[in-house]
Amino acid sequence: MSSFFKKDLLVFWRDRKEILLAVFLPIILIVILNTAFSGLFSSDSEPVYIDLGVVLEDDETAGLEQFENKVESLEIAPDEKQRIVEHAMQIGVNQQFVGFFKNPELSEWVTVQEVTEQEARKLVEMEELDAYIKIPNGFTDTVLSSSLLGIESEIGVTIHAKEQSTELSTIEDVVRQFINTVNMQFALGQTGDLDQAAQPVLPQGGKELVDDVDSYTFPQYFTIGISTLCALFIAQTIAVKTITEKRERVFNRIILSNSRPFHYLMGKVLSTFCLAWIQMMMTYVIIQLMLDVFPHKTASFWIGLFLMISLFSLAVAGLSGLFTSIALNMKDTNSAAGIFTMIVMTLGALGGSFFPLQGLPGFVQMIGEWTPNGVTQTALIQFIQYERLQDLVIPLGLLLGFFALCLVIALFMFPRRGRI
Amino acid sequence: MLETVKLSKTFKEKKAVDEINLYLGKGESVGLLGPNGAGKSTTISMISSLIKPTSGDVKLDGKSTIKDPSEIRKVLGVVPQEIALYEELSAYENLKFFGKIYQVEKGKLEERIQEMLEMVGLKDRQKHLVKTFSGGMKRRINIAAAMMHQPKVLILDEPTVGIDPQSRNHILQTVRKLNEEQGTTILYTSHYMEEVEHLCDRVYIMDHGKVVASGTKSELLSILSSEDRIQVQVSRKSHELIEKIQQIEHVRGVDETKDGIRIIVKMGRNILSELVHAAEKEGVQITNFHMEIPSLEDVFLHLTGKTLRD
Repeated sequence: MSSFFKKDLLVFWRDRKEILLAVFLPIILIVILNTAFSGLFSSDSEPVYIDLGVVLEDDETAGLEQFENKVESLEIAPDEKQRIVEHAMQIGVNQQFVGFFKNPELSEWVTVQEVTEQEARKLVEMEELDAYIKIPNGFTDTVLSSSLLGIESEIGVTIHAKEQSTELSTIEDVVRQFINTVNMQFALGQTGDLDQAAQPVLPQGGKELVDDVDSYTFPQYFTIGISTLCALFIAQTIAVKTITEKRERVFNRIILSNSRPFHYLMGKVLSTFCLAWIQMMMTYVIIQLMLDVFPHKTASFWIGLFLMISLFSLAVAGLSGLFTSIALNMKDTNSAAGIFTMIVMTLGALGGSFFPLQGLPGFVQMIGEWTPNGVTQTALIQFIQYERLQDLVIPLGLLLGFFALCLVIALFMFPRRGRI
Repeated sequence: MLETVKLSKTFKEKKAVDEINLYLGKGESVGLLGPNGAGKSTTISMISSLIKPTSGDVKLDGKSTIKDPSEIRKVLGVVPQEIALYEELSAYENLKFFGKIYQVEKGKLEERIQEMLEMVGLKDRQKHLVKTFSGGMKRRINIAAAMMHQPKVLILDEPTVGIDPQSRNHILQTVRKLNEEQGTTILYTSHYMEEVEHLCDRVYIMDHGKVVASGTKSELLSILSSEDRIQVQVSRKSHELIEKIQQIEHVRGVDETKDGIRIIVKMGRNILSELVHAAEKEGVQITNFHMEIPSLEDVFLHLTGKTLRD
């Protein structure tokens, strides 16, 4: 078995083109993708800070009076009128709106100052304000009439800025979410301060935050996705070498030596394991040194990563054994290489190497999570967030199972005499 | 030592090999001749256990090898038509790999590799990658790889196709040496009749999957022994002269060749005076005249109606 193993490693090593592709392609791809997408996702590391002006033209007292008059003119029971007016008085539309921007969560990244419209225009022009929100006269009456009496009006809050920007979009989102929340409260008949449960979810510079959990970054995703995909291609490369052995009758010579099929297959499997493992290790080490994609990680993280890479390499080795048996069974050796490429690309797509599994339809996600690269990717992304070694037990078991299954099928499929 | 008994192989509807019987005695050198598609390679594949025969048997020392080919594989070395080597490995690395998988003893492996490199004359190139070798050098290493385990029987399937004369001579000398000095039994197929004539004690001629003739060179030549061939060179071409020659008694055939006229006559009949007379009558001068000695090529042509390279 060791003769086959050494020979396969040596044959691969002598193919300089393959070596260059195997070693440098994943690294180059990760660096390129990281550079290309770093602009798009720069907000990942730099949160948005907004300077916002509020132009308050609305007189809340006058607005409430206007609303009371409207209620008075309605043909409803006096008790009902009383209840609506009391409800309206508790809301305090303007205070709630301005107060919303001053709540501790928002005030970390939104600075609000009350200004006149003239001042606001000037400050926006001088770029000292990113935008200003104008609360027009009659706003209180409009909001109350619309919410409590169902009388619609054209008057509404307007946002003014010098030009379209990320900051402006963020403000628009915040205002929209505030209005939705207030509407919901009206609908529920709630009044008073917004409680914690009703707080709108605020954008945090594009990061999805879960309590006490790290999120994963795009460079981390690229590193995992590309390295697993490139490792899968090692299985294809080794299988293509089998096709060459078959075409050039070297395989016949091997058969005539009375060598056992298991030894031949294990040579392929072991050499693929070594090559995939070395390729992935080099990729992770070089990318870590170049880009520091996994900053501040503990020893247990690196142990977990080492285990996942090792078991994933074993799964790739199993796949290589399967490809080898398929190649030996196929009459048309030229199409075999194409078929293996298609299988690897499909595994890559289903397993989330091209785009995150979470962005795929449910049933595709389900299939993808059963592919070796999908298992690895999902497990590693989860591991980055929680760093719990016990979470890797099932994925490691699945990868080991995938390897064993591939090997059994490969041995079963290995051509009998006269079928080569 | 090694024999095939009514060995047949059918691919779908086509019978590639049809009940052939071959016998290779110990230390013999046997040629297998046949045009393309005659079934030589299929026969070799069945003998070497690479493909299973549809019917018939391959026997080694009287014992069938069909069910358990492991014994015949131990004594057999096969040199395929293709260069069955790893081009990315050196000559030495190739021999070492094949030696190991043929289970050459660890202590003797190095010695055997050097012996084989010496035999094929590539000792000084042993560290060079096979892909840098000429076609002839590759073919020599191809033979060495098949000899690593010291097989008792060596099957060579057209081992000199497409190589330079120097390498060809080297291969022929090597095969001859293996046969004469080491007593290796040889089964040799080739398109080159002179190679088979030079190397082989006996020859099998195959056509359309069947053995159409077999025997020693003289036995095969005796197939043509009822005829003499006379090659005549003349001063000018004349159809009238050819017609006149055809009318001479005992003449079985007349062909116009690029060198003149070839006449096939019943063996031992002298037609010289009638031939000179006919030429004089037509005003044609005979400039040269000789008897042709038949070769195996003529036998092959006679039996199959084709030349070996057809």
